[in-house]
Amino acid sequence: MAELVSELRTQIERLLADQSIDVFIAFKKADSPLRPQPAFFRSGDALTDLEYNSLCQNNLGNYLTRYPNETRIGMVVRGCESRTVNALLVEKQHIRENLTLIGVPCHGIVDIKKIIEHYGEEITGYSENQTDITIILQGKEHTLPREELLHDSCLRCLHPNPVNADILIGDPLPEGDPSLVRKKVDSFEALSRDDRYNWFKQEAERCIRCYACREACPMCYCTECFVDFNQPRWTESSISPAGTHAWHIIRAFHQAGRCTSCGACERACPVDIKMTYLTDKLNEDILEIYNFETGMNDETQPPFAAFNMDDKKRFVA
Amino acid sequence: MGLAAASGSESVMKTRPKIALFQCQWCLYSESDQDWVDHQLPPSIHLIKTSCTGRINPLYILNAIQGGVDGIVISGCLPEKCHYKEGNLSAVRQHEAFLGLLDYIGYERERVRFLWLDLQDRGRIQRELADFEVFLEELQPTNTLATRVSETIGGLNG
Repeated sequence: MAELVSELRTQIERLLADQSIDVFIAFKKADSPLRPQPAFFRSGDALTDLEYNSLCQNNLGNYLTRYPNETRIGMVVRGCESRTVNALLVEKQHIRENLTLIGVPCHGIVDIKKIIEHYGEEITGYSENQTDITIILQGKEHTLPREELLHDSCLRCLHPNPVNADILIGDPLPEGDPSLVRKKVDSFEALSRDDRYNWFKQEAERCIRCYACREACPMCYCTECFVDFNQPRWTESSISPAGTHAWHIIRAFHQAGRCTSCGACERACPVDIKMTYLTDKLNEDILEIYNFETGMNDETQPPFAAFNMDDKKRFVA
Repeated sequence: MGLAAASGSESVMKTRPKIALFQCQWCLYSESDQDWVDHQLPPSIHLIKTSCTGRINPLYILNAIQGGVDGIVISGCLPEKCHYKEGNLSAVRQHEAFLGLLDYIGYERERVRFLWLDLQDRGRIQRELADFEVFLEELQPTNTLATRVSETIGGLNG
């Protein structure tokens, strides 16, 4: 994995040196080895801080919408991020010509909460290969299997390979198994109506309305979110049941046909709400009805924008 | 129980299911139907008139449910008849997906009904509302998602 970082560094240095990009978005080392931070490189000198491993939690597509279309952006993308970039391009949030994407086939993001649960925060070193990760705790090395520590949404990832990379580093991986996503939605649907509602209620009402899920989500780029309006006030802004229910339902619904199942919302949640069961259901429905998967290319409009007269049969009079 | 017969009496009113009627302002082709909807709806039916079904944000549906209605009727025009050409096409895609999501988290989607009205459907809206009322009376009342019922501001009660 060290080769990956050095190759990435060489590529970024080259791009910055020949001035084909203005800024490169990647990750840098932070105080704790467990928490690499998103970083914005404008010169080659800063690249000593560059870091790239399975602990990089953020979806970098989030930062694409913060630059004007004229800015030439370079970015390192994993499978989900590359689909996010495509989805944003469909929504005209940037121009493809002004993007240089370095793709990295992704072995899955390690959920740091699962590491911290067993070993605490005092971890001083981290390294990884394709099957195992190694952490250093109080001078002692611990080797753990990667499979057990992967984030839930990475365990059921369908497309680990970037779909639109200009430069690909590493060998493509096999595609994921669609039945894993289906299984999760089906097992929830198999519950009784009351059980489903009670589960939803319990999960939604734990929400503290910090909106970390919204801030982490690359597709939530509205400058004013519906929950922030107070004239008119569309929903309650407090943590009342009405407010949290509406937030969970409408946030998920605004992602219908736009969510790439990257799981950034779940990773950002401070109270550990696993909210992807809502977006996964919508994704499954959209795939079933419209045969549409988000971000597989940068042209196809999402179903809610692509209605036409063929929908006639839906009008049951 | 006919709709027209039951309006006015307090004791009857309380037992009747509350319905929110989202009506596209162009969908009632007959003047007498529109007049009935505008002026003679029984008090248990709350009219929300919109410029088109495409103008109905799923959030409005959720707000009505949270406000404690027992059922929702969305009445609109058939394809090719939309005043704005394609508002209803966009609406039908969104509302179907939205109802799928509501059903997934435990709300009975039968409580939301679509009514696509055609030119010759004179008087149909009254029949359909009466039908729906009977249907809702047979369903058990539900508290699912009705989280704002006790409030008077913003809800549909009061």
